[in-house]
Amino acid sequence: MIIRAAILLLVAVVAEIALRLQLGVEPGMVLIPVILFAALIVFILPGRIYRRWGYDMGDEQLRILRGFLWRTDTIVPFNRIQHIDVAQGPLQRLFGLSTLIVHTAGTHNSIVTLPGLATANAEEMRDTIKDHIRQDMI
Amino acid sequence: MNEDTAGLTAQDTAPFRRLHPLSILMKSTTMLGRNIIAIIVLHFSLFDRNIAYTLLAALALITLVAGVTALIWSRFTYQVTDREIRIKSGLLNRNNRSIPFDRIQDVSLEQNLFSRFLGLMTVKLETGAGGGDDDGQLDALARPDAEMLRDTIRDYKDGLSADETAADDRLVAAETPPLFAMDNRRILIAGLFNFSFVLLAIFGAVAQNLDFLLPDGFFDPRRWIEALPEQEAINSISSEIRIIGALAAILSLVTIGLVSGIVATFVREYGFRLDLVDTGQRGFRRRRGLFTRTDMVMPIHRVQAAILQTGPVRACFGWYHLKFTSLAGDANGETDHSAAPCARLAEIDPILDQCGIHQAPLDLEFGRVNPAFWWRKAVFAGLIITAIALGTGFFLHPGFQAISLLALPVLLILFLNWRHHQYALDDSQIYVRSGWWRRKLTILPLRKIQSIDISQSPLDHPLDLATITLGIAGGSAIRPLKIEAIGFAKAMDLRHRLLSRITMPPTAG
Repeated sequence: MIIRAAILLLVAVVAEIALRLQLGVEPGMVLIPVILFAALIVFILPGRIYRRWGYDMGDEQLRILRGFLWRTDTIVPFNRIQHIDVAQGPLQRLFGLSTLIVHTAGTHNSIVTLPGLATANAEEMRDTIKDHIRQDMI
Repeated sequence: MNEDTAGLTAQDTAPFRRLHPLSILMKSTTMLGRNIIAIIVLHFSLFDRNIAYTLLAALALITLVAGVTALIWSRFTYQVTDREIRIKSGLLNRNNRSIPFDRIQDVSLEQNLFSRFLGLMTVKLETGAGGGDDDGQLDALARPDAEMLRDTIRDYKDGLSADETAADDRLVAAETPPLFAMDNRRILIAGLFNFSFVLLAIFGAVAQNLDFLLPDGFFDPRRWIEALPEQEAINSISSEIRIIGALAAILSLVTIGLVSGIVATFVREYGFRLDLVDTGQRGFRRRRGLFTRTDMVMPIHRVQAAILQTGPVRACFGWYHLKFTSLAGDANGETDHSAAPCARLAEIDPILDQCGIHQAPLDLEFGRVNPAFWWRKAVFAGLIITAIALGTGFFLHPGFQAISLLALPVLLILFLNWRHHQYALDDSQIYVRSGWWRRKLTILPLRKIQSIDISQSPLDHPLDLATITLGIAGGSAIRPLKIEAIGFAKAMDLRHRLLSRITMPPTAG
C-alpha cells in the first residue's frame, strides 16, 4: 500500500510539473487531491482491509473473508483441496508470519491464499487440512 | 517385489522409437505452404519478377526447411514403457519429458487431409496442465502405431495388461450403434444456426495478403473520397432502385453469413459420431471432421458439468448443443467438449444418463435474480450512450444525436438477459441459466463443486446483493459459473444448502 501510494505521488508530481509547464495550471491543483488520496490509502485503508480479513476453520471447510470495497467470502470444503503450501516472504519471516495457500482443482479459485498467520498457527491448520485430503477427488 | 523388478526391466528394454519418416515430408510441406506467400511477394518485389532468382530462393528455402525438419526428426525419440511415455526432443536444448499414464487425461488422434493421404496420425496427449499443445504431441505416427499407443494407454487405465484386448475392443466400438451421430441433413441444420462471417474474414485476409495485385492505393481512403463525387450520379437514380440496391447488399451479406456458417460447420462436424466405449473404464469416443479428422476419447468420470446451449431461434425448433466441461480442454482452444452439436432433448437424455447427470425435472421451479441485474447496467449504458450522443452531436454533427436511439435495443437486451438468468437447485444438481441470445443452461452435479465464493462489489452494498461463483475443475477461467445479483441473505442460504450436500462423504467420482 505504501509503495502504491508512493508511486501515485510520483506520478502526480510529474503530472503537476508537466501541466504547469504546458498549461500554466495553478500550483497544487493536481498535487493536493492526490496527497489526500495517498494519505487515505496509507493511513485509513489498511486498517479497514485488515479488519475485513477473516477466516474460519470449520469441521469440514475453510472459510475466508476478504476485501473492503470488493468483498469476497470464499468457502473451500476440505475434501476438495488438492494440496497446501505454507509460504513465507522475507518481510513475513521478520515478523514470524506465514501465508497459507490452498490449491483446489477448480479453474476458478484454483489458489486460495490466507496471508498473515502466525507460523505455528499456519502449520497447525495445514496439518488439520492434510488429514482431510484424500486421493481421487476429481 | 517381483512386479516391480519386472516393471523396471520392461522400462529399460522398451525400445526408443522415432516418428514415422513421412512426417518429415508432412511437416516441411506445411511449413513451405506458410512461406509460399512470402516467396510470391519476393518474386514481385525484391526479385523484380525474375523467375530464376525466385526459383533459386525457393530451392534454398526447400532445402533449408527439409534439412531442419529432418534434423529435428532425427533428434526426436519416444519410448513407451508400461506405465509412462518418455519423449526426448530438441536440437540444441534437449528436453526429456516423461508423462506417466496416470496423468494423461485425454488421448486424441488427429488426421488432417494431407496426413490422411500418407496414412499418418497425430497423437495428442492431454495432461490437464496449462499450456495447450505443449503437453505431449507425437506428430506423426503411422496409423496402426498411433491406435496401438492409444489402446496401450487406455488399457493401462483399465488396469489390464496391454496385450490382447487392444485389437478386439476397437471392433466392438465399431459394431455397436453410436450414442449420437449426425447425418448430412443434421449438419446442414446445425450450419444454418451457425451464422458467421468467417468467410468474409478469410476473404479480407486474402485481400490483405494479395494487395500487391490490387491497384495502387486500394486501401487508401483518400482515393475513395475523391471517387465520391461520382455518387452524384447515383443520387439521380430513382429511390426505388436505391432501396433495392440496399436490400440486395443486405441480402448478400446474409447469404455470405449463412453459407460460411454451413461450410464451417461441415468442415468441423462432418461424420460426427459419438460412441460409448466400455472397457472397464467407460468413456465417450468422438469422431468428426471433414479434412482434419479427430478421434478423441474422454473418460466419463472426468465429466464435471453439462452445458446445454441454444439460441432464441434454435430453441423454437428444439435444437440444443450439448457440451461437457472436463479437466482438459477441447481442441482449438474451446474450453468445453462438444458432445452433440445439434440434437433434440430426447437425444441428449441418453448421453446425459451415461454420466449420471439428469435434465431439470419439468416441475422444478427456477428462481430469477434481482432486477438490479439489468437496471443497474441499463443506467450505466444509458449514461454512456447519452454522453457519447450529446458529445458527438454537439461537437461534430447534430445527426450524431441519433446514437441515443441505440439505447433502446441495448436496454431491451439487458432486460431479456435478466429474464433468462435463472437458477434452481434439486437434491443432487444445480441448474444455472444465462444469456438471452446465447442461451446456456449449466447442469452441475453438486459433488463436483470445488469452492464457493460470495462476493460483493461496492455497488452491491447499498442494494445488499451478492454474486455467487462456483469453482469447477476445468472450463473457462475467464467466464466461471456465476449467479449474479442475488440477494445477500438468499446467497448465504443457497451456499449453506450447497455445502450441506458437498461435505457429505462424496459418492464415487
